[in-house]
Amino acid sequence: MTAPMQFESATVPTPEAVVALTENVTQFLEEHGVDMRAVHHTSLVLSEVLTNLATHGGCCDRPARIVIAVEPGRVMGEITDSGPPFDPRSAPEPSLDVAIEDRPIGGLGLFLVRKLTSALEYTRRNDENSLTFAITRGGNRDPDRSGRETVT
Amino acid sequence: MEIHDERIGNTFVVTAKGRLDGGASAAFAEKVGALITSEKPKLLLDFAGVDFVTSAGLRAVLVLVKKVKAAGGSFALCAVQEPVREVLDITGFTDMLRIHAARAEAIAAMGG
Repeated sequence: MTAPMQFESATVPTPEAVVALTENVTQFLEEHGVDMRAVHHTSLVLSEVLTNLATHGGCCDRPARIVIAVEPGRVMGEITDSGPPFDPRSAPEPSLDVAIEDRPIGGLGLFLVRKLTSALEYTRRNDENSLTFAITRGGNRDPDRSGRETVT
Repeated sequence: MEIHDERIGNTFVVTAKGRLDGGASAAFAEKVGALITSEKPKLLLDFAGVDFVTSAGLRAVLVLVKKVKAAGGSFALCAVQEPVREVLDITGFTDMLRIHAARAEAIAAMGG
């Protein structure tokens, strides 16, 4: 019997629950033969989005729904929460080219989410935020180190 | 996350193992930051056992870098795993920090 290719969870985004979720997702993806880099990126994107939700989304007491699906060329993810409207794509870009003494502490989480995903879409519907993302499987790093993936 | 520190010559070497994430970063910054007590401290973080670093972990690293720099010291990372290295590259940390392939090389470069 083939294991289901989809992982589903309802997670209240406490730090402990986020760790447990990413461990479960890691196990699911590894069982389906997803490469280490895509597994890592999927876990990191989930961790950053859910942590941001708990910190800024004001919905730490309500579970977010997470769906992860393994497709031939990519890992797809969807995170749905009932917090106030927030499009993670609209977060300001951090300043990356300033001296270390002058770098602000923070602002990197959603920046990482944008950089690690090959697609990132946001929809507000039925009073819920829905964020869908794609992570390329078997991708290589761009020579310019921008983090965008290329498939060979 | 497991944290072990030792002094090699004049350099504090901190070996971390596990996830440097929102749950671990505050304790990590506090424990490692407590080592920075002297003038011109030398601090090396060995990340060979660190397989996951979130933005919260990056913030902890940045706090430590700032503390070391404020004391006129030097800071470096070594043995960073590839996915973590990619995160450091994307966020511009690689350009701000000294990152060495191995511990011995890092200690030599920091002057012991």
